[in-house]
Amino acid sequence: MFVAASAVDRPAESPEEQGDVGLLERPLADTPWVTLVWNDPVNLMSYVTWVLQHHFGYSEAKATKLMMDVHQEGRAVVAIGAREKMEADTEAMHGYGLWATFQKDD
Amino acid sequence: MATAFRRKRGRIVGTLDQDELGIVVHLLKLTRDFVAPERAETGDPFLDLVAGMGETDPDPSEPSDPALLRLLPPAHRTDSEQAGEFRRLTEHSLRTRKAANAKRAIEVLEGAPSSKLELDDGQAQAIMVALTDIRLILGERLDLRTDEDSERLRAQLEASLSGEAEMDPAKAQQMAYYDFLSWLQESLTMALMQR
Repeated sequence: MFVAASAVDRPAESPEEQGDVGLLERPLADTPWVTLVWNDPVNLMSYVTWVLQHHFGYSEAKATKLMMDVHQEGRAVVAIGAREKMEADTEAMHGYGLWATFQKDD
Repeated sequence: MATAFRRKRGRIVGTLDQDELGIVVHLLKLTRDFVAPERAETGDPFLDLVAGMGETDPDPSEPSDPALLRLLPPAHRTDSEQAGEFRRLTEHSLRTRKAANAKRAIEVLEGAPSSKLELDDGQAQAIMVALTDIRLILGERLDLRTDEDSERLRAQLEASLSGEAEMDPAKAQQMAYYDFLSWLQESLTMALMQR
């Protein structure tokens, strides 16, 4: 679904552009991406917990822990994986009214 | 007066009186119309496909209305190009899904035979999720930006209701709606989480 986006958004410093492709270069597909959920003043703590359980299949304990991280730290990484999956998770979170973003893990 | 929702024999059961039901349905309809894509689906898959084909480059810019922007937020915090690409690819389907979910919630509430609602999980979820979008819009109109803003506004409403302080009537009504919808959403969520 997001093949075009991945192709367009190849990192600027790809191995080819650096001129020297190392044999141990990590393939781009292996670089993890993350989905973040950001705190907002509207969404209910119970609802955020329900969404994380329902969408990701997390246990109530894990979902509650992530929700508290969002609430107290302002954001939390709720998923890690391939870029396409993180984009799909971000879109799903927006469907539930949560403010989510995706980015390369740093 | 509304009573809280509970899970009873596999159903999500609670009551909303006719006034409360009317307000929720009214706000759901406003939300559905607000979020629906500017090019609506025709319901005919072939016509929709053809209509979509003209849009080789849908507008990737952010909505200017902050409430709409909150419903369709940027998907990347720092890279506006990636956020724009994501918006170009997903915004139409996200708006379509949000409008369809609001429509389903409206149908469930309008189809209720009495003020006692007995919902299956899917119906309760549709209402719960749709309530989020109404609350996000109202929250934006009420200038809620931080958790402290919510607490301050809540205190203002309580002071206004007890006659201790004056509050702009329009704002007081928005806040009362917001407060009621928050209660309703919390009630549905807790019932859905009961196993």
